[in-house]
Amino acid sequence: MMQMTRRQSLALAGGLAITGARRARAQASRNVMVGGFDVGPGGFQGNFNPLAATAGFQWLNLYYETLVLYDAALENIKGALAASFESNPEKTRFMFHLVPDAKWHDGSAFTSTDVAFTIALAKDAKLGSIFASRLADITDVQTPDAHTAIMVLGKPNGSLPDILTKLMMLPEKALSALPREGLDRNPWWSTSPIGTGPFRFVRYETDQYVELKANSAYRAGKPKLDGVINRYFKNSAGAVAALRSGEIQFSYVESDEAAGFANDPKFHVIDGNSWVMNYIGFNARAGMWSDVRVRRALLQAINRDAIIKAIFKGAADPALSIYTAGNVTPKDLDPYPYDPAHAKLLLQQAGWDKINGSKPLPMLSYYNTPLVTNVMTAIQAMLGQVGIMVTPRQVDVATYNGIVYGQNNDAQFPLVYAGAQDGPEPGIANIYINSKQAPPAGANIMHADVPDLDAALNAALAEPDASKRPARFQQVARVFNTELPWAPLWVGKRYGVLSADIHNFVWTPAPSGGGYEQNAVAWSFS
Amino acid sequence: MLRTTLRHLGATAAMLVALSVLMFGLLRATPGDPVAAYMDPTAAYSAADIAALRHRMGLDQPLPLQYLDWATAALHGDFGYSTQHDRQPVRAMIAERAGPTLLLMGSGLILSTALGIGAGILAALRRDGPLDVALAVVGSLGVSSPAFLTALLGLFVFAVRLGWAPSGGMTTPGVPTTIADLLAHLALPAAIFAAGQATLTMRYMRAAMLEVMNHDYIRTARAKGVGEVWVICKHATRNALLPVVTLTGANIGAAVGGAIFIESVFNWPGMGLLMVNAVEARDYPVIMGSALVIGLFVLLINLLTDVVCAAVDPRIRVR
Repeated sequence: MMQMTRRQSLALAGGLAITGARRARAQASRNVMVGGFDVGPGGFQGNFNPLAATAGFQWLNLYYETLVLYDAALENIKGALAASFESNPEKTRFMFHLVPDAKWHDGSAFTSTDVAFTIALAKDAKLGSIFASRLADITDVQTPDAHTAIMVLGKPNGSLPDILTKLMMLPEKALSALPREGLDRNPWWSTSPIGTGPFRFVRYETDQYVELKANSAYRAGKPKLDGVINRYFKNSAGAVAALRSGEIQFSYVESDEAAGFANDPKFHVIDGNSWVMNYIGFNARAGMWSDVRVRRALLQAINRDAIIKAIFKGAADPALSIYTAGNVTPKDLDPYPYDPAHAKLLLQQAGWDKINGSKPLPMLSYYNTPLVTNVMTAIQAMLGQVGIMVTPRQVDVATYNGIVYGQNNDAQFPLVYAGAQDGPEPGIANIYINSKQAPPAGANIMHADVPDLDAALNAALAEPDASKRPARFQQVARVFNTELPWAPLWVGKRYGVLSADIHNFVWTPAPSGGGYEQNAVAWSFS
Repeated sequence: MLRTTLRHLGATAAMLVALSVLMFGLLRATPGDPVAAYMDPTAAYSAADIAALRHRMGLDQPLPLQYLDWATAALHGDFGYSTQHDRQPVRAMIAERAGPTLLLMGSGLILSTALGIGAGILAALRRDGPLDVALAVVGSLGVSSPAFLTALLGLFVFAVRLGWAPSGGMTTPGVPTTIADLLAHLALPAAIFAAGQATLTMRYMRAAMLEVMNHDYIRTARAKGVGEVWVICKHATRNALLPVVTLTGANIGAAVGGAIFIESVFNWPGMGLLMVNAVEARDYPVIMGSALVIGLFVLLINLLTDVVCAAVDPRIRVR
């Protein structure tokens, strides 16, 4: 009798496990797509406040909406909650014509007062809004009628539409009913938020998933999917396991993981430009990089083509300046081909052939993947051949930022291997490489101080004529390529893996995960 | 007995204060802070962006003031607000995750104790036989395999290859939670958690059984004609269990460490995952609150073990 009971227990346990796995895979039959939407560098698991979001915009855009969005190729800014917009030539006055039939998930109408309310909220630094400084140029929001919002700026800012592609519109009626003090930590964001998007918030299951259901009153029609679930994973390896076992239908994956799905008919591998240019940064305060010949020597000592071919398996494109987008990258840039003999010569001419002194230079990085470890090891070996001894030091993001943004830490990072967003708005480069943007003012962590580059950037940012802007930024690229405040290496591709059961899914590995037009209404199971 | 208990209670309180000071000091000495962790290193932040974040996270106060504020509030059960997670109250975050961790640890410990004791008895009874050798090999593997490696292997084999278990989480997303669904998600992480603990218990049990089986009272029982099953169950096992009980108490402390790995691999929404995420994000209030609660838990278990031992063995009471 006792033996029977044990057998029954074992059978029950096994049965439960198998039943559970089958249930997990049965999501498709319920017309609910499950994905790891916040896996990888564009994701931001556990963040529900769009004003504090530094990433995760793909997911937020499913239930909130912005005034404007990029197209899926991240080339043009289009209307979203604003059907169209225009600005004066000086870029100090932007007029947004709102769509007439947008409704919040509680049924109330979306109007221009919601726009004014959102801007006021986003400019309130006390609420920890990441947009507070970015929207500082806006001095007034006028609402002449319910479907027109006019933003008046104190000084020209051609980048405003780009900023607005990530600013989710928020409901005045719902949020003004909550106490302003502590609004950023109000449970509303993770329990009952309302937006105007194609899906509505259902619930957040702590550390596990967020569930949305189709918004049947959406102005573009009811989504084909009944719901979307964003499952949380500690890393992409967990997401890969869930993809393989059929529990989820989409996730970002690392490039080496993507290769495992390439020939599997059950999946589609989506790739795209990461919009992150990897570079070796020269700390201008370290002394040894002040002669441009030394910086050129380091770049020519690295066989970028070999690293792209052997380690990235072709999943990267070489970079020649801070930009890689076609319209701001001129054709006449110096490619600095791999030439270790010339690199040695340049070091000798500059008097820096004994650049290390008595010990290797640390090369700091926040990248911790095995792929980057291989990349940094290859760079270490290549630089060693021309007499530049470096030691890779891979730390976590917090440690990296703590060092590079800290004071008096220069000895810890004469070199960094890092990445910088290089688009789609080219003006973003200003905060990285303009000498006026060295910490604490901005993100020029390598303290680049190149007057010609500053002049080119200032001219490009001040250019009011949109048709002339690309030429202005091409000049920035040229000066960057000549002066090399950083050694540009490559722009990697990023990968997403999608179940072959899903149709019309749009994913672009955009910086911070968005905001681009993803047409979620049309997503469907086959 | 009362003096012993009071003395242990005093030591526990002092250790908690020391733990909080140590944690606070170590966290501030660690490179990077919550703002540094919050910032995407490929994105551009202005000084105003960073100042707003520092203010939001309460880092614009002098260090001693930050500790005093935290300690005063903690004495009232308020551990402050997370610097991430939409600034949720830490107490609520811990309360929400304590249940899943206790469920995982509890089921894992029950499973590991039962398996360990059973296997230890079998190994002792079949000393130097094939079963003993096989169990010794399994035991060595279990003890020497890091928890995260066992967890990853288990995930790959049972979730990905065989499809017998879900790949992670505590429930199936988007469907009503049922006991069967919960057990299905619990089975694999609990079994892997138990595997590491059970091997240690088995080795202790085997050694204790071998020692006990040579005692005179076992020989006497057999000489009196008591059946072998009764001798093993009543006389040998009961006496051999004493060191295993002590080990189980100590295992609870180690189990907290194991739970961190298991929860990370299986995305089990417990204290371990909370701690790992908080450390990565330099979420000081969550790290401090969680460490204090886990420390208190372990210290209370130790206190309980000490008190029970003192009750059982009068020689170790305070005079």
